Amino acid sequence: MKISLDWIREYVAVDLSPQELVDRLTMIGLVPETVEDKGGDLILDLETYANRPDTLGHLGVAREIGAMLARPLLERDWPVAELGEATADIADVQITAEALCPRYCGLVVRGVKVGPSPDWLVRRLEAMGLRPVNNVVDVSNYVLFATGQPIHTFDFGRIGGGRIVVRKAKRGETLVDLDGRTLELAPDMLVIADESRPVALAGVIGGQASGITASTRDVFIESANFDPVGIRKTAKTLGLQTDAAYRFERGADIGFAPKAAVMAASLLTAMGGQASRGLIDRFPKPPKPRTVRLRLRRIAELLGVAVPEDFVVEVLGRLGFRLEASHHGAWRVEVPAFRVDISREADLIEEVARFYGYDRIPSVVTPVDSFAPAANRKLDRLARIRGTLLGQGLDEVINWSFADPEREAAAANGKTPVDIQNPISTRASVLRTTLLTGLLENAAWNLNRGLDGLHVFETGNVFHWIEDGKHCEDLHLGLLSTGLLPAAGLGTAAAETDFSVIKGAVEAVLEALRYDPAGFEPRDHPSFEPGRALAVLYKGQEIGTLGQLRRDFAAVASVDRAVYAAEIDLAALFEKTPRPFQYAPVPKLPGVVRDLSFLVDTSHAYGEVAQALGRLNQPLLEGFELVDRFTGKSVPEGRVSLTVRLRFRHPQRTLVAEEVDRVVQEVVGQLRSALDIQLREGSIDSRA
Amino acid sequence: MANLKERIDAVRKEFDEAARRAADAKSLEELRTAYLGRKRGHVTLLFEDLKSVPAEEKREAGRLVNELKQSVTVRLDAIEGQLSSVPPAVSAAGTDLTLPGRKRYVGRPHPLTLFEEEIERIFLGMGFSIEEGPEIETDYYNFEALNFPPHHPARDKWDTLFIKGDLLLRTHTSPVQVRVMERSKPPIRIICPGRVFRRETPDPTHLPMFMQVEGLVIDEGVTFAHLKGTLEYFLRALFGEKIKVRFRPSFFPFTEPSAEVDIECLVCSGKDPACRVCGGTGWKEILGSGMVDPQVLKNVNIDPEKYSGWAFGLGIDRTAMFAYGIPEMRYFYENDLRFLRQFGTK
Ligand SMILES: [Zn+2]
Repeated sequence: MKISLDWIREYVAVDLSPQELVDRLTMIGLVPETVEDKGGDLILDLETYANRPDTLGHLGVAREIGAMLARPLLERDWPVAELGEATADIADVQITAEALCPRYCGLVVRGVKVGPSPDWLVRRLEAMGLRPVNNVVDVSNYVLFATGQPIHTFDFGRIGGGRIVVRKAKRGETLVDLDGRTLELAPDMLVIADESRPVALAGVIGGQASGITASTRDVFIESANFDPVGIRKTAKTLGLQTDAAYRFERGADIGFAPKAAVMAASLLTAMGGQASRGLIDRFPKPPKPRTVRLRLRRIAELLGVAVPEDFVVEVLGRLGFRLEASHHGAWRVEVPAFRVDISREADLIEEVARFYGYDRIPSVVTPVDSFAPAANRKLDRLARIRGTLLGQGLDEVINWSFADPEREAAAANGKTPVDIQNPISTRASVLRTTLLTGLLENAAWNLNRGLDGLHVFETGNVFHWIEDGKHCEDLHLGLLSTGLLPAAGLGTAAAETDFSVIKGAVEAVLEALRYDPAGFEPRDHPSFEPGRALAVLYKGQEIGTLGQLRRDFAAVASVDRAVYAAEIDLAALFEKTPRPFQYAPVPKLPGVVRDLSFLVDTSHAYGEVAQALGRLNQPLLEGFELVDRFTGKSVPEGRVSLTVRLRFRHPQRTLVAEEVDRVVQEVVGQLRSALDIQLREGSIDSRA
Repeated sequence: MANLKERIDAVRKEFDEAARRAADAKSLEELRTAYLGRKRGHVTLLFEDLKSVPAEEKREAGRLVNELKQSVTVRLDAIEGQLSSVPPAVSAAGTDLTLPGRKRYVGRPHPLTLFEEEIERIFLGMGFSIEEGPEIETDYYNFEALNFPPHHPARDKWDTLFIKGDLLLRTHTSPVQVRVMERSKPPIRIICPGRVFRRETPDPTHLPMFMQVEGLVIDEGVTFAHLKGTLEYFLRALFGEKIKVRFRPSFFPFTEPSAEVDIECLVCSGKDPACRVCGGTGWKEILGSGMVDPQVLKNVNIDPEKYSGWAFGLGIDRTAMFAYGIPEMRYFYENDLRFLRQFGTK
């Protein structure tokens, strides 16, 4: 809302420097967003709030400044040159929709000479950034910006029968508005009609047919009050934004309607016309004034400072409230009609605080009581996941929750995306069903900019519809690795990433959270290359997938390298109980280690070897791990050489070599019969 | 034969010792030539010697020599495997101490995560706990419970992306506050970080999605002075002890009184009338706050006569932009690693 300091001075004496004025307005909550010197006048563009329609005119802003400076509002007379004719004899107003129009005032000004406005009026409108039109239109704009009350002027000669009917639109009615648009009216919209047809869309915009023209002689001035919700719905439906609608939808001052009509009549008659005698004022149910109880004690309780009683009385008085002491330290406060934002004690306390000064309220750190922050296990787990993955050399990314429906479809995960009714763009019109599409975009972005590899993860929610209109919002973890892995130093050539990088990262996460042992089972997934995906299982339930992304899925994001990725449903995982943490004593007795090198047919996966070893009932065998795997010069075609390190330990005594050898022989025998392994010669290596 | 057997054992022993010393690719190659070389290799020469072994012993002798060759081959292969992961610069330790060290790449957290954690740490230290809630919300939790009447123009500032029926993408994390107030009794002291969504046309400082952290304190005897003191403490912890902080009146439907909090412009300290950050005012709006509106308390069955509280909300992205002088908010979501990785060292 633009205000002119010159104009403000019609209502209150202001003698602050521009900088002082800006600072002090800011500190009562009327923040000047821009300040401009316009021919000696200071134009301030004030930030406005949806709950303060009273500050949408100079009068209201002047009232605030008056309270700020402890100065009175200056009254001004609006004399009207009157005809002998009574308004009621030449015009009639009827309201048939009282809920949408609680008050309607009007009068007629005859003998108006439509023409250019006087200089002072042109100057005022130009200060508001408005282009003068003609004296009649300019007067209505002047009244709006002076007082915040929108008024409308009709060519009275075009009002059929001199009858104004405030009613709901009839089905199929249309109105050509002042800007020449044809508005299709709906039955819930309020119109101003004459005896036969709508002449204006109430509180929003006038009709062209009844508008002021050069040949207008008699003007009907409308100053009314309309229901904010009705105006807002109508303006939104028709996509109309007008100064009048802006004010009515926030709530105009129902008490001010007659004064604004008189003000307009005064200005028009000063330019040559004469007004009909007496105002038509249809106000069927004047609301009772709102009263609010205010307790001095409560001010201190809410603000943390004791504001002096006379300050409270002074400030609220200047703002237009009427205070009546009810008992000691309490008032019955009557709220003026223009303060639509005030209905509770807290609202009044805010008024006191604004003018007392937020800077004068002391600062006290909220005391810390005995209660400690509640543990948030989910966030603790997320922090551990992040730490683990960063340690694995993966960078963290954060992607949009929005997705492009076409790219989302390429994931082919069978989930129905949640669509947004009013998206910013069609390329962001659904919510992501998977983290993989976003991670692929990251790969494309970075590879296109010269990076030779990308190894990233994200934690975030994904969404999809489930049956009967319900939706799912689940926390997922996504990982992606493509291109070269970072080199660790000289002599460590950067290697191309592979499946094991992602699998290792998933294993590391699950171990860090004690969701282990996890299971990995070959299982096809539509986002992954056939035969190149593993289902990740914990306690038998599938909680994610990892593998190589389908090439045509990656290609949708223009990534043509092999991409390895995983997606874990953390929501499902976190519902499971992890392996309990238990301390185990560190073994006091030395163990024995034997490395077993053998050849096995390539048709047997390592998983089968591990399974066979896991099934062995050998109490001395503490554990095992794969330490080498190769095919090379010395390995026959169709076979692979594995070296498995076996760890042996006896809980009570030191093992002797012979008993370990015996167990190793048994292990070899069992592996031989299960998987037809062939021991490599000289290949049982002992490393104690 | 006994002679040959002794020679085999000797070769094996020598090889074992030499193999232990093989520390790089060069010495490994020399070792391979010395033992398996076609003409003069020690093992190769043993095969030559087989020719002079009596026929009846040939089979057994052949087996022994073959076994030796096999184990030498396996051992050499194994050493080769180990060496390939050891860089020569390190294995030749001491030759050039100025060579760069060997380090593993450690991933970097996203700057918004880092900044969020920094904020969380300050509040955790003041006894706040962290709460979360859904990103798809209902009109009730996002608006009505927070004292936004239906069809009120106040909703315009929280321009909303709608889903279906009364479902929408939350425009702030305030619904988390409502959910917590509904399910717990005062005293309440929480912060609620998370993604929020607005139907904003993208520009340098506005995006349709960003990160927010809100906070809420409800207890008996909580005043505006506590709001001021706690937020001043927070901002000093975040921006430095000397930062100037200013509270000024504002309007939010869910707080009464409401306050906007400004900090002094770190870029120009108010000295540049054309400053891109503060526009020459010297102040940068950093968060919104206020005393919880009594209607909001009533909506969650907390008696506003007995309890009072304050709340605040802050955009993590914009605060991080201000703190680090980042000109464009979208950098956070482009995930260009050249941008993201810088913050891991902050
Ligand atoms: Zn600045």
